[in-house]
Amino acid sequence: MKIIVFIDQIVSTQVKLQGVDFFDPSKVDDVDLVINPTSKNAIEGALKLKNTFDAEKEEEEEGAKVTAVCVRGLKPIKALREAIAMGCTDAIEIADDTLYTEDPLLLAKIYVGALEKIGDFDLVFLSAEEQSSSSYAVGAMLAEKLGLPSVLYAEEIENIDGGFRVGHVLEGGRKIVEVPQKALISTSDSQYFTPRYTSMKGILNAKRAVIPTWTATDLGLSANVVGKEAASLQQVSLTNIVIEKESYIITEGEPEEMVDNLLSKLKEDEVKLGA
Amino acid sequence: MKILVFGQIRDNAIEENVLGILNKLSEVFADSEISLALLANQINNDWVEELGKHGAKKVYTVEASELENYLSYPYVKSMLEIIEKTEPSLVLAAGTVFGEDLIPRLAVHHGISCAQRIVDISLDIDNILFHTPVRDDQAMRVTKLVGAIKFATTRTGAFFINENPSGKSPEVEKVEVTFEAEDMLVKHIEIKKAERTVNLKDAKLIVAGGRGVGGKDNFQILKDLATLLNGEIGATRACTDLHWIEETYEIGQTGQSVSPDIYIAAGISGAPQHLSGVKAKTLISINKDEGAPIFNYSDYGIVGDLHEILPILKKKLE
Ligand SMILES: Cc1cc2nc3c(=O)[nH]c(=O)nc-3n(C[C@H](O)[C@H](O)[C@H](O)COP(=O)(O)OP(=O)(O)OC[C@H]3O[C@@H](n4cnc5c(N)ncnc54)[C@H](O)[C@@H]3O)c2cc1C
Ligand SMILES: Nc1ncnc2c1ncn2[C@@H]1O[C@H](COP(=O)(O)O)[C@@H](O)[C@H]1O
Repeated sequence: MKIIVFIDQIVSTQVKLQGVDFFDPSKVDDVDLVINPTSKNAIEGALKLKNTFDAEKEEEEEGAKVTAVCVRGLKPIKALREAIAMGCTDAIEIADDTLYTEDPLLLAKIYVGALEKIGDFDLVFLSAEEQSSSSYAVGAMLAEKLGLPSVLYAEEIENIDGGFRVGHVLEGGRKIVEVPQKALISTSDSQYFTPRYTSMKGILNAKRAVIPTWTATDLGLSANVVGKEAASLQQVSLTNIVIEKESYIITEGEPEEMVDNLLSKLKEDEVKLGA
Repeated sequence: MKILVFGQIRDNAIEENVLGILNKLSEVFADSEISLALLANQINNDWVEELGKHGAKKVYTVEASELENYLSYPYVKSMLEIIEKTEPSLVLAAGTVFGEDLIPRLAVHHGISCAQRIVDISLDIDNILFHTPVRDDQAMRVTKLVGAIKFATTRTGAFFINENPSGKSPEVEKVEVTFEAEDMLVKHIEIKKAERTVNLKDAKLIVAGGRGVGGKDNFQILKDLATLLNGEIGATRACTDLHWIEETYEIGQTGQSVSPDIYIAAGISGAPQHLSGVKAKTLISINKDEGAPIFNYSDYGIVGDLHEILPILKKKLE
């Protein structure tokens, strides 16, 4: 069984870059580049299946493989080493200045290119959202391009004969579907996908891992197909949202002082708590 | 201009967000011709009438047992047929889980990208502009789509519904679509509906907890505080998924929509899917992470551990 998991690297949301500054790479330090938390959920989904598969396999059979692929990010290699430290078997970096990844359709094309070069695979995992600036569209676009049965926003996965039974997020509840083994699953941040920590063994593997870098040419893609000029979703403007209302956030003090501070401010503003 | 809207059905009625879209479209595109696509096992005439009232001039219907539940392939196939018939310049759907699955796929078939979760749509000289908040609603990204046909979804809760619609019965056209075995590769098993035993809609005060609450038993302090303040409790999907609290208390896009005077958010990060269901006059939040997005939306906040803050708050209020 060969599982591919597409991950993103983002600027940590712990970084206090406000509004448009968040999108300015010159303001970002390398240490603040992290695997997108929702991508970690996708890695977890892939690793859980690998673990189940490995536990059930015959002795002479090869174990399941999980390959992490990262296109988006300023230093994808860093994210990929962490993915291996979590338990992924290997990793592929896709980096090329000509690739434009802000348009979900172009990103889906890049992913298709990567999958074609990888060749055979059984399952594709990705996360439904990139925090902060998601297009929320890549999973569905990729599934449609590949003609793969798919589930978006999965919350739980159960192995069944010849495929998976998957529960996914739905307005007013949860929907259960069954997909064949060759499928695409995008994950939510449900309890089931709570990411594991890196392990000692994983960290060693990550240090030793040779991670290839594929360029657009390696994927058979040229700038007029996946470059900025090919984007059909084009940014017209990006501006800070000015919030008029003032917010009163208490950041300092002993807990009791903070509560007193809040209550007296509420009183001053004539905001009544309760009847 | 021709606009086609996906008329999603939910709980045997038109999804509310679809009505919101119709209202918005009538404001922005005064002279447009708005058609709806209704896909179901069996079309209910009430849906057609309601869409007409809200401004639909024409409704395309596809009736088939394969459409009883949303599944990507049969829905994409049906929509593509309707698009071919109507040749719209814009195709819109509400940004529900199904709408967000459908629109990107339709876009792929037309070789174009799409804009998801827009909160506004406007007209430039010859462009349709899509407005999407990014970075936890700190910045607004305006985009345009290059191509003869454009695809977008709207953020749930973004648009008002016209309370007094006065449109007429629309024209109805039946569209025949045939499905093959390979359209049904993904099998619908069931929908596990969350029980809604408690109605939070009219609550004046809600004490809501998130993953930061840290466990089932820890919800007691929230309940005590809510009781003390004559309010209700609420929770994020993270908590209901963990079974810390009954599903009925879930608030947000996939939970209940609430509009209390006061919303106390404890240990909630402030995901858009949660906040899209919260329209509070005053939002007070407690979170130990100063960078948590919830503070961007809060009127008042304490950066601290809810396990320390809430008991003190309760004691002082008693
Ligand atoms: C299609 C879709 C629809 C969805 N619909 C909904 C919906 O309707 N409603 C909903 O809620 N979610 C919904 N979600 C899930 C949503 O995306 C988030 O995952 C969820 O809202 C996060 O919940 P949270 O804030 O409790 O958890 P987290 O994001 O994990 O946040 C926990 C917060 O608690 C803080 N914290 C931790 N410990 C403490 C402490 N001791 N004291 C104080 N603060 C603490 C942390 O700093 C953090 O900010 C949906 C997701 C999808 C994909
Ligand atoms: N000790 C802590 N102090 C401040 N923030 C924390 C702490 N632990 C966790 N967090 C934040 O809370 C989020 C959820 O973490 P957790 O409470 O471990 O589920 C993390 O992403 C951090 O941002």
